[in-house]
Amino acid sequence: MSADLHLVHLYPDLLRTYGDRGNIVALQKRAEWRGFAVEITSVSRGDAVPTDASLILIGGGSDRVQEIIGPDILARGPELANAASHGVVVLGVCGGYQLLGHEYVAADGTAIQGLGLLDVTTGTGRGRIIGRVNARAQIDGRTFDLVGFENHGGRTRLGSGATTLAVVPKGQGNNGVDRTEGAVQGSFFGTYLHGPVLPANPELADALLERALAKRLDGEPLKPLDDSLEEAAHRESRHRRR
Amino acid sequence: MRFGKLRRGLRESAAVRLARIVGGLSRRLRLGGGSSAPGLVVGRVDPGFVERRAAALPDGIIVVSGTNGKTTTTSMIRAILRDAGIETVSNESGANLLRGIATAFLDAPATATAGVFEIDEAWLVRMVPLLKPNVMVLTNVFRDQLDRFGEAESVAALLARAAAALPVTSSVVANADDPLLWYAVRDRDPVGFGVRPLGDIEGSHRGDAEPETCPKCGAQLSYTVRTIAHLGQVVCEACGWMSAAPEVNARILSAEGLDTVTLQVDEATLVLPVGGIHNAYNAAAAIAATGIAGVPVLRAATSLEHFRPRFGRSEEFMVDGRPVRLVLCKNPAGASVVIREMAADPRVGAVVVSVSDQIADGRDISWIWDADHERLAAMGVPIVPSGRRAADVAVRLKYAGATPAPAEPDPIDAIRSALARCPAGKATVVLATYTAMLDVRRAVSRSRSQRLVDSMPSPS
Repeated sequence: MSADLHLVHLYPDLLRTYGDRGNIVALQKRAEWRGFAVEITSVSRGDAVPTDASLILIGGGSDRVQEIIGPDILARGPELANAASHGVVVLGVCGGYQLLGHEYVAADGTAIQGLGLLDVTTGTGRGRIIGRVNARAQIDGRTFDLVGFENHGGRTRLGSGATTLAVVPKGQGNNGVDRTEGAVQGSFFGTYLHGPVLPANPELADALLERALAKRLDGEPLKPLDDSLEEAAHRESRHRRR
Repeated sequence: MRFGKLRRGLRESAAVRLARIVGGLSRRLRLGGGSSAPGLVVGRVDPGFVERRAAALPDGIIVVSGTNGKTTTTSMIRAILRDAGIETVSNESGANLLRGIATAFLDAPATATAGVFEIDEAWLVRMVPLLKPNVMVLTNVFRDQLDRFGEAESVAALLARAAAALPVTSSVVANADDPLLWYAVRDRDPVGFGVRPLGDIEGSHRGDAEPETCPKCGAQLSYTVRTIAHLGQVVCEACGWMSAAPEVNARILSAEGLDTVTLQVDEATLVLPVGGIHNAYNAAAAIAATGIAGVPVLRAATSLEHFRPRFGRSEEFMVDGRPVRLVLCKNPAGASVVIREMAADPRVGAVVVSVSDQIADGRDISWIWDADHERLAAMGVPIVPSGRRAADVAVRLKYAGATPAPAEPDPIDAIRSALARCPAGKATVVLATYTAMLDVRRAVSRSRSQRLVDSMPSPS
């Protein structure tokens, strides 16, 4: 019998700069606490993405590592597009977000071709964008606050095919100019809120879970959980001064 | 000419006096440990101070840099040199920017003939021309304070630039088990040190390691020996690049949790009075560095048997008459190693996990998700989240499978909560990030009901 939720972590051995594992742990626990059986598969260079995946996570890495995985990830375009067309959620965080776009220009000027699955393009800018972020997200008709930390050199612009994941009252977001943060296009999600964005934002985790578990839920909403610890941390993050 | 020298002398003595006053004030007003402010003053009044004092040391200078183990390795080198009859100037309290080094010169004993300094990775390249070190020890490169340093590759590049700036006659001592670091400094023909673990190697693909890719060609590396996270002996099956065999190799013979680890280095066997494989690395680095200074391995090993940990690197003190051990954990690899040692130690009865996000800690605490808190949770002992980010620690522990005690941001409240939950006869351990560690020390020394045991060093 196959699991209710099959989480696939792409390149966990390479794209893991910022506690990216936290996102897998958050999805796993939040599904298990609701009684769903969860399977987790690591996929690295040369491995195939399992055909019964429910959600695929692509984390962040250094410029060197993003260059190393370049050829392997580019070959995955059709695989990921096909999965997403069947409702598989694909979440790219930080470097993973950049790789889902058309192109990513590294700090040294090298242009790295992306998958083009999100209609976004990442160029360079002056200095790195580093700091805390408070954002307001809108997904599937729900609106909620996001908290997190961003640390990226790239400046990402959205094309007409993608919509923004959130707006940033505090922090720089995609490019430091248009107050947008992250991108959504069909089943593809990208965000600069790096590392453990899902444990820090249980509402975002649940929005993704609801999509990934759509067939099992059959239109029912997810059961609520006791999120008092998560909410306390979220509240403190929102009110932190810097 | 003579006037110039006289004027410089006057300027230096005025600067030194002023700095001493500032240091005393800073300590009295509890602004800090007094280990940075005086150096800041002397640097303003007399910019050439550090360079002149450094050049005046007849037995030369050893500098220590890298992500983990700087303070302990510096302490170990100093202890070995002391036993060999060489008194040293040192910034042992971990104040490792220029001002901390200036303060160390201000406080230096008149008999000091050599310098041993730990230096922040980002400052190293700037400090090399001032100190002209004879030996540069590079411990390892892990991701740490990403908001300040950027990625591990950037740190390795910084260290390599510093090594390249050394005088040609100087030596580099580097961790041969760290592929990224070793490859970055290979042109300096470094003296390698390493550790051979006891029994089975730790499984790979843990979140606390750097990517295990060949530093030369980027292919996946194969490990023949694995010690901590990405440290070990590797070979690249794609391009043939492989780790160098370390010249100073610490073979672990037995380990007793956080307390001791028994090592064999060449013919010397030593019981190191601080536990953990990370301290085996620190000892190997110290033996390699002092070997270049002329101390034989056997003598260095004997010195290390009497080594006492310094400043938050595994200190023990009493709170309400009960023992509490304080261990610095500032990045995922360091935290995972300490957790591993702790899990093997049945005497641990309760744990405080204290995480802060001041500049010196790194403002981004994402790394707590890479540290092996799952293993901590599996110990089944009470855990109290603490520090400025106590609420985030509580969430991390929950997802690791623990039921954390209520978050207690204040250090003394957290320690008391842990002590109340700690079974009699067992020890309470505090894992703390850098400023959280300072907060714990400050709170413990301020509170009147506590007595600091003698082994605790003074904060300056």
